[in-house]
Amino acid sequence: MAAYWSEECAIADFADLQANAMAVDCLGSWTVLAGRKTLALVDLDNPEDRVFRVTRQSKYDISCVQWNPHASHAHLFVTASNNKIDLFSWQESNTKPECSMKGHSRNISDLDWSSFDVNVIASCSTDNFTHLWDVRDPRRPVSSFQTVAGASQVKWNKVTNNCFATAHDGDVRIWDPRKGNTSLVYIAAHLSKIHGLDWNPFNEYSFATSSQDGTVKFWDFTNPRHDKGMLNSGSPVWRARYTPFGHGLITVVVPQLRRGENSLYLWNNDSLQQPVHQFIGHSDVVLEFQWRKSREGKRDYQLVTWSKDQSMRIWKIDPQLQRLCGHDAQDSSENELSAVDVSDAMETDHKETMANQRLNASIMYSNKTDSLPQQQPMNLTQEFSLVNKNIPNVKIEEMAVVKRSCIAIAVSGKNSVTLTVRFPTNYPNEAIPSFEITESTVDNALHKKLHKVLVDTARKFVKRNTNCLEPCLRQFSAAFDKMTLEEKKTPDSDTFPMPQASNKLLQSGLFSAYQDESIPFPRTCGAHFCPAGYVVCFGRSKEAKKGFGRPDVTPKTLSELAVYASSTRVRSSQSASGFPVYFSKSPPTPNSETVSVSMYYKYKDRKQRARVKSRVKDDLELKSKEMIKSSKIRTVTLAPVCIYEISSLLAINKQLGEEYRIDLKDIPKMCQQNIKAALAVGRKDLVQLWSIISQISNPNLMSSPSFDSGSPWALNPFGRQMLESLMQYYQQIHDVQSLAMICCVFWSKQESVQPPVVKPSASKSSLIEGTPVNTEGNITFLPGSSSDSGWNLLSGRSKNLSKSTLTEVPSNPNITAMFQSAIQKVKRSNSWSDFSMDDYRFAEDADPKEKAIQNEKQQHENNCRLLDPCHEAQYEQYLRTYANILYCWKLLTKSAEVLKHISTPLEPHRGIEFGMMCHCCGKNTRGARCNNENCLMLAFQCVICHTGVKGASNFCLLCSHGGHAEHMLEWFQLEDKCPTGCGCFCLTGDPF
Amino acid sequence: MVSVINSIDTAHEDMIHDAQLDYYGTKLATCSSDRLIKVFDVKGGQQTLVANLAGHEGPVWQVAWAHPMFGNIIASCGYDRKVIIWKETNGTWDKLYVYSNHDSSVNSVAFAPHELGLVLACGSSDGSISIVFSTGDGSWDAKKINGAHSIGCNAVSWAPAVAPNALLDQSGKQQPVKKLVSGGCDNLVKIWREEDSQWVEDQKLEGHSDWVRDVSWAPSIGLPKSIIASCSQDCRVIIWTNDGTFNNWTSKVLHKFNDVVWHLSWSITGNILAVSGGDNKVSLWKENLEGQWVCISDVNKGQGQITDGQSAISS
Repeated sequence: MAAYWSEECAIADFADLQANAMAVDCLGSWTVLAGRKTLALVDLDNPEDRVFRVTRQSKYDISCVQWNPHASHAHLFVTASNNKIDLFSWQESNTKPECSMKGHSRNISDLDWSSFDVNVIASCSTDNFTHLWDVRDPRRPVSSFQTVAGASQVKWNKVTNNCFATAHDGDVRIWDPRKGNTSLVYIAAHLSKIHGLDWNPFNEYSFATSSQDGTVKFWDFTNPRHDKGMLNSGSPVWRARYTPFGHGLITVVVPQLRRGENSLYLWNNDSLQQPVHQFIGHSDVVLEFQWRKSREGKRDYQLVTWSKDQSMRIWKIDPQLQRLCGHDAQDSSENELSAVDVSDAMETDHKETMANQRLNASIMYSNKTDSLPQQQPMNLTQEFSLVNKNIPNVKIEEMAVVKRSCIAIAVSGKNSVTLTVRFPTNYPNEAIPSFEITESTVDNALHKKLHKVLVDTARKFVKRNTNCLEPCLRQFSAAFDKMTLEEKKTPDSDTFPMPQASNKLLQSGLFSAYQDESIPFPRTCGAHFCPAGYVVCFGRSKEAKKGFGRPDVTPKTLSELAVYASSTRVRSSQSASGFPVYFSKSPPTPNSETVSVSMYYKYKDRKQRARVKSRVKDDLELKSKEMIKSSKIRTVTLAPVCIYEISSLLAINKQLGEEYRIDLKDIPKMCQQNIKAALAVGRKDLVQLWSIISQISNPNLMSSPSFDSGSPWALNPFGRQMLESLMQYYQQIHDVQSLAMICCVFWSKQESVQPPVVKPSASKSSLIEGTPVNTEGNITFLPGSSSDSGWNLLSGRSKNLSKSTLTEVPSNPNITAMFQSAIQKVKRSNSWSDFSMDDYRFAEDADPKEKAIQNEKQQHENNCRLLDPCHEAQYEQYLRTYANILYCWKLLTKSAEVLKHISTPLEPHRGIEFGMMCHCCGKNTRGARCNNENCLMLAFQCVICHTGVKGASNFCLLCSHGGHAEHMLEWFQLEDKCPTGCGCFCLTGDPF
Repeated sequence: MVSVINSIDTAHEDMIHDAQLDYYGTKLATCSSDRLIKVFDVKGGQQTLVANLAGHEGPVWQVAWAHPMFGNIIASCGYDRKVIIWKETNGTWDKLYVYSNHDSSVNSVAFAPHELGLVLACGSSDGSISIVFSTGDGSWDAKKINGAHSIGCNAVSWAPAVAPNALLDQSGKQQPVKKLVSGGCDNLVKIWREEDSQWVEDQKLEGHSDWVRDVSWAPSIGLPKSIIASCSQDCRVIIWTNDGTFNNWTSKVLHKFNDVVWHLSWSITGNILAVSGGDNKVSLWKENLEGQWVCISDVNKGQGQITDGQSAISS
C-alpha cells in the first residue's frame, strides 16, 4: 500500500440531485451530473459555486451520459434514459436539446461516442442490439449488430478507428462496423457478468474487463483464448479504467454491494498483487469516475468522482502517485515523499484492514463458489427495471424497491384480479416471493389455482437463483385468461376457431416483441418453380407500397413490425390503451390491436381507400372500421396468385416428351418420328440432332464383333467424338431430355451397336421376355462381361458354372448365399425376367486365360460403343432425371419406358410378397408352378378361362380373384365387379 | 412464351407468405398471416378451393409438398413454433402429425428427396434444425441439430439424392445422399450430412454480410457438380459451386439487388433461378454458355412480364 495520502482538492455536495450518471467533458472544464429530475452542469474550476441546473420531465432515470470526446464538438453531450438517447448542446450556460434517437426496445445499458468520428455514437441495450448512430440522421441507427445476449457495455477503441467492444454477460465481442453483424473476435472472458470494459489508451489491441467474479482481466484481442494478466480485488468490480499515464488502473466495487468499501483503488498493472493507492473520502459507494484532462502547464492529472453520497470530488494525481504507476514524470523529483513520515504509522494500520477486508471477501466467495458459474442474481432494482411491461392483459400498477413489492392487475373479459407480490430479502436465492390476490371478481377456487401456477413458476426459476417476476406475471396472465375463458364458454364459442389453442400460445409467452427479434421479416412475395414446368408467383398488389419512413430497404426482423403497428394505431386513432397482442386474434375478427405484416405496407391509392369507405357508407355503416381494414387488406394488399407456364424457358419440352418414341428395333424410323416431333414444336436444332443420330446409328456402320477387323466406327470422329461434343452442348444448356434420348439410343442396351451378324436370338433378347434363352442373352450383355463368346460360354455350361463357382468361393458366405438365392430363383421361377444379372458376375473369374481374352474383348467392345462406358453412372442419371420429369408431366408410361433402359435396376421390392395357394393341391406356393412335388400344376387359375396362368396375371387385392392379364382387361372394360360374382368392386377397391 | 395460365384470388385475409404447386402442377397450396393454408385444384386453367386447413395459431410461413408416392401430403410451419403435416384421404384433409419441439418460430420446411423416404427438415428461429421422419409404421421420429445457427435458422434445403462424385465413381450402387443446406442469422450457409445417424456440419460457407434469408440446392440432372444458391438481407444472391471432387466451394455473386432478397427457387433442370425479394419483384436468372448469370426476364422483352409479375397482373 502506498505510503502516501492523496487529498481531494475539491468537494461539492449536490444532496438533492439523486444522480446516477456523471460525465466530464473533453476539455476538462465542465461536468454533467444527470439526475432523474435535474441535469446539473458543474464548472470543474469552481465546482461549488458555478452550477447550472436544468430540469427535465421524464419518469426514467438517466442511465448514462457522455460528452463528445472531440474538442471541436466539446459542447455536445448525450444521455440515455430508458430506451431513448437524447443529444444536448451546452452553450452559453444553456442546454439545448438537439435530437433524440429511438431504436432500442429495452433499457439502454451503455453508450459511447466514437473517438474518431465526431458524429457517431454506439449504444447497447438489453434488447440484444448494439446500434451505431449518426447524430446528423437520428431517425434510425446507421448500423445494428445483434447478439444472443444483451450488452452491458459498449466501448470504442481509443487508438484505432472502426473497432469497438461490447460486453455480454461474461463474454466480450470485438466488432468492426464495416464487417456487418459478425464480430471479429469473441472472448469468453469471465464466468460471471462483466460490469466494465475499458480500452487501453496506448495500445489498439488491449483492454481490461472488470467482473462480478471479483477480478479484472487484461486482454489482447489478437489472443482471445488467454488473458494477459489478472487482478483479484476480492469483491465484484464495477469499473476498471486505465490511467491516462503510466501503466495504472483504477477500480471501484459494484455499487449495489454496499460493503462499506467506498474507496477507489489505484493499481500498477505491472504488479497486480495489491493496489498501490486508495482514494478514501466518499461516505458511500462510488457511482462514476472520470479523468479530467490536465490543463496546459500542469503535470497533475485530476480524477473526478461521483458517489452515492451525492458528492462530487476532484482528486489530484500528482507526479508521485503517477510514478507509482510506472509513469516517470520528468523533473518531479522535488516534493518527493512529502507525506511519508506523516502517514507511516497509518500505513501499516491501513494495510491490515485492507488485508482483512480481502480475507472476508475471499471467504464469502469460497462459500459461494458452487453458484459462481451461474449468472449472479440481480437485485430487485435491476429486475424491476428490466421487466418487460408489455405483458398481454397485465398492467403493472406499482413496483416499489423499498417495500420490496409489486402490484399487478390482470384483466380478462370483464374479470380482473389484483395481485401483490412481495419479495423476501434473500430473494432470488432460493426464496420465492409471496403472492397474494388482493382484489378480484372471481371465486376462491380460481384464486387457489392461480396461486399454484404462480408458486410453481416462481419455484422453477428461483431454484436456479434467477429472477422470476416477469415469467410469473406472464404465466399468471395466461392462466387467468384460460380459466375465465373456460368458465364463460358457451355454445357460440364454436364460432371462434380454437380459443384454447391461442391461449396455449399466450401461456408460452410467445407474443412478446423482444422474442421476435430473431425472426426474419416475413416474405410477402415470391416465385416457385414447379417440376412440371410452371412458376407460381404470389405477392403484394401494386397499391401496397412499402412502409412508413424507410421505403428503400425492407426491415429485417419481425419485431420491427411493432413500430409500424403502433404508428398505424395512432393514425387510425383507435383506442390503444391495451397491450399489443401479436397475431393473437383469430382471422374472422380482425381487430385494431392485431399486428399484421400488412401494416408495414401502406396504400398509395387514395381513391381506392375512399371507394372502400364510401361503399361502407352505402352499407349504412353497418360494418365496423375493422371490417374496412380487413377488406382493405384483402382487396388492396394481395395480388392474385399467378401460375405461369414457363416451359419455353427450359430446354426440355413436354410435347416432345409425349411425342418422342423410343424404338430401338427400328432406329431410323424412330429418328424420323422424332424429327417430326421436333419440327412440330419448332426445335430446328433437334431436327438436326435426330438426323445425325439416324446417320450415326446406321446399322451398316456397326463394326464387326471380332476385334481384329479394324478400328470400330465409334472411334471415327463422326462417332463417339461427335456425340460427345453434342452431349457437352446439351449439358451446358441443361437439356436433360435430349441427353436422355441420346443415352437411350446409344447407351442403355447394346443391341443397337451390335452388328446384325449376331445371332437373332441375342438381338431379340431384350424384346421378348419370359424364355430361358432370353435370360442367357441378357447375361451376355452385362456391362463387364463379354459379348458373344461370353454368351456361348455361359449358355453352354451355366449349370456347371454356378456349381463350380460355389465351390471356388466357399470362404465368402455372402457370395455363396447370393448364388444359392440365384439358383433358387432359377428353380422356382418360370419367368426369368426377375433374374438379377449380378448373380453371374463371377463367371469372369473362371479362368485367367479366358479372363485375358475377355478383357481384350471387353476393351474392343467398349471401343465399339458410341458412348464412353466410363460415364455410365452419368448416363443413367440423365435417364433417371428425365424419367422423373416425364413422371411430373404425368406421362407415366413414357417415364417407365425410359426407366426400362437403366441397367442398374431399382431396388427390388422388399415389402409384402404375394404368396399363392395352389388351386389344385391347396398348398402354399410361390411362382407360377406349384412347388409340391406331387402336384407341379400351374398354381394360379384364371377365373375367366379356368386354365393355369404362367405369364402376366392380374388379380384383385381384396377378393384375390384374377387371371390372365388379357382376360381381366377385357372383362373390366365393361364390368366393374369381380367376374366370379363374389360381389367385390375390384376396380375401385371398395370392399364388397 | 411465358404466359399466365391461372390467376387465383386466394381470398386470404392477410399477407400470403408462400404458394407452392405440387409435383404435377395440379394442386396449389398457399399459406398466410391469417393462419390458414388453402389448397386449390388448378387443373385446366380453372381453380377450385378444395380445402381450408386451419390448425396453426399464428401466421403460416411456408408450405411444402411431399413426393406424390407418399400420397397428397403437405407440411407447413409457422410463427406458432409448430410444424404440421397434413394428408388428404378420400378428398378430406387432416392433420397427420404435429411436430412442436421448437422454441421459436419455425421459418422453413422442406421435404427430402423421395429416395430417402418421408423425411422433412425444419429450420427455426431458436437456432436449431429438426429432421422429422416417418418411421414407416405410422409413427414419427425426429433428430435435432441444436445450435445450427446462432440467433436463428431461416431456411433449409435438401441436396439431390445423387451425389455428383458418385457419377464419376464406377463402384456400382450408391447410397442416396443425405445432406442439407441451411442459412441463418449468423450470416452463414452451412451444409450438414448424416453420419452414423447423427447430423454433423459438413461445410460452412462464409460470404454474406447479413442474415441469410433463403438457400436452395439446385436439382441435379446428372452433371458432376453441386450448386447452391443463397440470398440475404445484404441484398446479394450468391451461387456456390462445387466440382464434386473436394469440399471446395467457390462463390460467385449473382447480383446485388436494391432490396432484401428473401426467396430463391431452381427450375427442375437446375439452370434457371427465380429470385424474389422485398421490392415485390421476381426475376429469372440463367447461366449462359460462357458461365455468366444473366437475367432472362429483363433481357427478353417478350418474357419480361414476369419481372413485374405482381404489379402487372394485379392492376
